[in-house]
Amino acid sequence: MTNEEIREQIDAIFESAIKHSAVTEHGDLVVHVAVEQFLMLMAYLKQNRDYDFDYLSQITGVDYLEMDPDREFRFDVVYELYSMSKDHHIQIHVGLPEEEPTLPSVYHLWRGADFPERELYDMFGIIVMDHPNMKRLLMPEDWEGHPLLKDYPLTVEEVAFSHNPDHKSELIKTPEDMKVDPWA
Amino acid sequence: MGLMDEAVDSIETEINNLKLNAKDALDQLGAEFSGAVYDSILTTKLGKVVGWAQKNALWPATFGLACCAIEMMAMANSRWDAARFGAEVFRASPRQADLMIVSGRVSQKMAPVLRRIYNQMAEPKWVIAMGACSSCGGIFNNYAIVQGVDRVVPVDVYVPGCPPGPEALLFGVIKLQEKILKEAGSEKARQRVA
Amino acid sequence: MGVTEQGLLERDKDTMTLNMGPQHPSTHGVFRVILEMDGEIVRSAEPDIGFLHTGIEKNAENKRYVHCIPMTDRLDYLSPPQNNLAFCLTTEKLLGVKELPARADYLRVMMCELGRIGSHLVWLGTHALDIGAMTVFLYTWREREMILDLNEMISGVRMMTSYIRIGGVAQDATPEWLDGVRKFVDYFPAKVDEYESLLTNNPIWLDRTRGIGTLTKDEAILWSMSGPILRAAGLDWDWRKKKPYSRYDEFKFDVPTQDHGDIYDRYLVRVEEMRQSREIVKQALDHLPDGPYKIEDNKISLPPRDTLHTSMEALIHHFKLVSDGVKVPKGEAYVPTEGPRGEVGFHIVSDGSNTPYRVKMRAPSFMGIPGMCQIMEGAFISDVVAIIGSVDIVMGEVDR
Repeated sequence: MTNEEIREQIDAIFESAIKHSAVTEHGDLVVHVAVEQFLMLMAYLKQNRDYDFDYLSQITGVDYLEMDPDREFRFDVVYELYSMSKDHHIQIHVGLPEEEPTLPSVYHLWRGADFPERELYDMFGIIVMDHPNMKRLLMPEDWEGHPLLKDYPLTVEEVAFSHNPDHKSELIKTPEDMKVDPWA
Repeated sequence: MGLMDEAVDSIETEINNLKLNAKDALDQLGAEFSGAVYDSILTTKLGKVVGWAQKNALWPATFGLACCAIEMMAMANSRWDAARFGAEVFRASPRQADLMIVSGRVSQKMAPVLRRIYNQMAEPKWVIAMGACSSCGGIFNNYAIVQGVDRVVPVDVYVPGCPPGPEALLFGVIKLQEKILKEAGSEKARQRVA
Repeated sequence: MGVTEQGLLERDKDTMTLNMGPQHPSTHGVFRVILEMDGEIVRSAEPDIGFLHTGIEKNAENKRYVHCIPMTDRLDYLSPPQNNLAFCLTTEKLLGVKELPARADYLRVMMCELGRIGSHLVWLGTHALDIGAMTVFLYTWREREMILDLNEMISGVRMMTSYIRIGGVAQDATPEWLDGVRKFVDYFPAKVDEYESLLTNNPIWLDRTRGIGTLTKDEAILWSMSGPILRAAGLDWDWRKKKPYSRYDEFKFDVPTQDHGDIYDRYLVRVEEMRQSREIVKQALDHLPDGPYKIEDNKISLPPRDTLHTSMEALIHHFKLVSDGVKVPKGEAYVPTEGPRGEVGFHIVSDGSNTPYRVKMRAPSFMGIPGMCQIMEGAFISDVVAIIGSVDIVMGEVDR
């Protein structure tokens, strides 16, 4: 099946849940879905024999705070799915709001989602429900904060010197900035 | 083994000199410190022999973290044979090693592990910080990397490079050997074992 | 805890917890796995990663695209050109670059395939060393030194070459380098035969690797494994053939596959891949086209140095590119490439400026670790080391 045919079928079946679907100029199929029907769409993509999306390649999280602060959904989670037998390739985007960044897990569809979903929690604070082992992956267990958020500083130390005029110095905080006044 | 004979000869001459000059030297320095002076002159030469033995048989602990570990493995391999400098075996257990080559970037999660491994090594022990990341944080100035492993363990030799070639690391090992020999028999070397 | 009649401490579980800690000679990097042992059999294996987390993805958000390239070298540090290539291909897709000059593509292919051979040599040496065959370690690194000499000849650095840049490669191939590659290509096949003579029909090797650590095709797909692990399980999946990039469709090479998916099959697949990579390098060398080694568009790649003296536009472009960097239009893209460990790709989100907004690396070892721990369950403790070696993880790309 071509990308265009898959896109039309998905649009027809999931009408209101699909926020946006397109075949880009490079030929990639991109689908934006609402989080409420997200799990249904993923299960459908896996179980439909014509599509046969049996391979989950990666899960990426993006924080759009700096690029577009007025965006409806602060986070965007991108899933890359392939079909090994039929050579299909689809990219699913789910938008998550800042107040409630929760997402159902696809671990029971593709076991390969184990580590990437834990990484989403660790790096962005996105809580993935029904995951068998939801805890921090890359940072130490008692680490506070989620490093890849745009308002998390790159480092808490002063750079000793920098001749780089583009150095985004607002991201580099000094230890004094990071101190929290307990009586405030 | 000429060096051993030489060392034994020099010890014997020194002891003979002491027997002849001890009384004069002790009178000059004051009798109450006599034990310490006698002790230090005798053990300096012996310390040099011990230092020579230590430097020629530095056994590294396998502490390869990242890319620098590959160049450390290359140093141990056929072309730049580290075995001819005494680093014959890379011991997996830190209790059997006396040199820790921290090769690679040390992350926040790894720093306590690094300190624990260092504590488990028996005295006397030396540390080489291999590469830019372990010397000063390298190209990664961010939340995740400890900016220089000397914040966690005391370092003897820093080898810069990203990654330093095996020849650079060998030069670092040779410099460490010179350092050991220079310190040997002195108060500093004794403090290492104390 | 109470005491039993025999005087032993009462235990609240039947298994023993064994920590195969971050500092271990056989874990191929700082990888920690917590094994629950029932005697000698592993009942469960829980991975604990993050000991090499470097924050490269966050750091890349503050750097210009060309400055990100040396950081990508340090991700999968055994085959740095592959990471450079994946990053540059994705950036070029965002820039809308349709095609590069043929010479640039051929040089990229040569560097990547030499990197693949280098990575497989490290894998073979360390895997055999873990299982006990130390001679192979000393032999394979001897050939790897030849590849590192070639790297140093063309880019100045032994390992982290950063040779592949956006729009082409950093500098042209010199005749000495081409001679060196020719010598390597002529010398190498006999060496692969030498390694095979040591291992392939060796009864000890067969006993330790055949029938062990089996992962069937369906399980491998379910656990998102890629690369030689999938091919050893029987699936003929190679991005160089499925979605050719960088003119790989102009080269004739086979993609080796096996049937059983055990450790021995993965070994056979990778050894054959070394031969096929050498074949690709030979073809690239024989048919290396003349022409520019990077794209002519001066908004993306630097103009030739001799034009800086005569052309004002070249000077301005050079100045803007060096001080400001290449500006990438808004969008996001992902290009999968075939690395020595599997599918390597970068998902780059760009906000229209000269620094990327989000860079995420799809690391094959990262996706492969849960599957690897799945294979370990039910295996003997001595097989755990062989399994880790056969999956060929590199912690630099796992922890990023």
